[in-house]
Amino acid sequence: MNIELNNIKPNYMSEAEISASDIYLQKSILFEKEKLYLIKAGSGRGKTSLLNFIYGMNLNYSGTIRYPMHSSFMSFFDLRKDKLSYMFQDFKLFQNLTTFENIKIKNSITNHKTDREIIELITKVGLKDKINTEITKLSLGQRQRIALIRAVCQPFDFILMDEPFSHLDNENIKIATEIINTELNKNRAGLILCTLENEYYFNYHKKYKL
Amino acid sequence: MKEINKLQLSTLIPSQLIGYSISLIIGIFIILTTFQVYKDVSPLLSGEEKLFSKDIAVVSKHITIFKTLDKSKAYFKQKEINNIEKQPFIKDIATFTPATYKINAYTNSSGNIPPFYTDLFFESIPDSYIDISPEQWKWNNNNKFIPIIIPKDYLNLYNFGFAESQGLPLLSENTISEIEFNIRLSGNGTKGEFKSRIVGFSSKINTILVPLNFMKWANNKYGKRNKKMNISRVLVEFSNPSDDRMTPFFEDNSYNINNDKLEYNKIIFLFKSAIYFFTGLAILIIMLSVSAIVLGLFLILQRNQEMIKNLYNIGYHYKQIARLYQIVLSVITLIVTTVAIVTSTIVRNTYSNRLEYLITNAKQTNTIIVFGIIITLILIVVYNILIVKRIKKIATQ
Repeated sequence: MNIELNNIKPNYMSEAEISASDIYLQKSILFEKEKLYLIKAGSGRGKTSLLNFIYGMNLNYSGTIRYPMHSSFMSFFDLRKDKLSYMFQDFKLFQNLTTFENIKIKNSITNHKTDREIIELITKVGLKDKINTEITKLSLGQRQRIALIRAVCQPFDFILMDEPFSHLDNENIKIATEIINTELNKNRAGLILCTLENEYYFNYHKKYKL
Repeated sequence: MKEINKLQLSTLIPSQLIGYSISLIIGIFIILTTFQVYKDVSPLLSGEEKLFSKDIAVVSKHITIFKTLDKSKAYFKQKEINNIEKQPFIKDIATFTPATYKINAYTNSSGNIPPFYTDLFFESIPDSYIDISPEQWKWNNNNKFIPIIIPKDYLNLYNFGFAESQGLPLLSENTISEIEFNIRLSGNGTKGEFKSRIVGFSSKINTILVPLNFMKWANNKYGKRNKKMNISRVLVEFSNPSDDRMTPFFEDNSYNINNDKLEYNKIIFLFKSAIYFFTGLAILIIMLSVSAIVLGLFLILQRNQEMIKNLYNIGYHYKQIARLYQIVLSVITLIVTTVAIVTSTIVRNTYSNRLEYLITNAKQTNTIIVFGIIITLILIVVYNILIVKRIKKIATQ
């Protein structure tokens, strides 16, 4: 599955604001499967907006987004189920569930991973002792790691990541990068990563400035 | 338990669901019971109306000491009949045609009823007043069967007086209608044998009725020729039985009117008012409890809209998000209506044991279960549609 953007423009941003963008209002931007893309921009440039447009969470834009490999009509539900994964900037974790439950609730849609695989991933990011802790008792950095694991608990052709490592130290970023690379290979999937400054350690196919 | 269920169950408010259950049980119980009572009791109220097609009453003159001396004063003159007919509340007037021959009824001494032999009298009124199926209420020249309608009082007299004291079996309307007996007509030096069966019981007309065409034929064949027919009572049909001018008119002319019907209308009115009241009350309770739970649930969904959006955003279909709420509300509603249906049925069994003495007709059908199931289905369908629509709206907004 490839994703193609044509003439995308958020309705709530003026043309002047996005005039320097490599993506907004460009005729055709193609994100290909199995390739890694970096989108870099300062705050307020519409990074999260762009990912939300692609994910179908925000439809307040002009232009078209096409998922050409799937020409027949697919709802965003179908798309999200096993084509598109999204690691949200604000995590979107459930406050009154535990670490493990927060991952399970996502995994149970497709049963993509076994409990053992999930526990292995939690162990890998160093949160094994927090497995049955309520999410509210975790630090932001810990929550970010849980959100990361949750994002890979589904099959996907593309994974969208919005500031995925903003609360992590270098040690943890390395571990997280490793996990994502493994999952990208397994799924033969592409990555679209939005970030402010830090480019992290991926081998990007292309870098855009928003 | 699946995580999504745990997550969503924690959003529910038990006291709200309990309140909903209790009020809905009360509402549905009242409405089911009211309808069943109405259905069960209505034969008592309308049994008579089934026999006669119109609003009718029998009018006769007061029998006073003077009239017993001079019988002619008890009869209606043509002028008086015309006067009655002119009244605005009278739609039609008919006279009784009496038999002018001798009639005997008897049974062959077989079967399980006691043999009897008795003198009888017949009268007829126009067939249009009688609302019995034409199959039952017909006679023709080569037919040896005469259908008859007897006063209900005769049966009561037999059941409560005669049978009781003589140790004879009690007879219901249904059993007595099964019995065939013989009729012998005689007069003019000839005799005729007929079969007969009772096809109806009347509490309004105190006479034994036979079809009019039979009466004419029989009067002609067996009757005393040229006998002057005296009219001692007439049958009136009201255009409006609750007309105020009616009572003064009958009193001024010292006419007797069999006005059971009027009393009866009052009882029916009271009964129906009670039924309407309870139905209205029940509908109100049901509507309140339904709107309370719908609004309550919508409030819960609104309060947890972030949870719903998050679920939607991590890949749940809005139908999957709605499922738990649908199941919880459907199951509770199902349990509630089942309890209401069972309670209504118990109540019905209790009162119908007592009603059996009063109602001779076959037991009425049970509407509780069918009606209860219909209400349950409607509620569940409505809830499910509302919940899915609401969650879709919240998730995708």
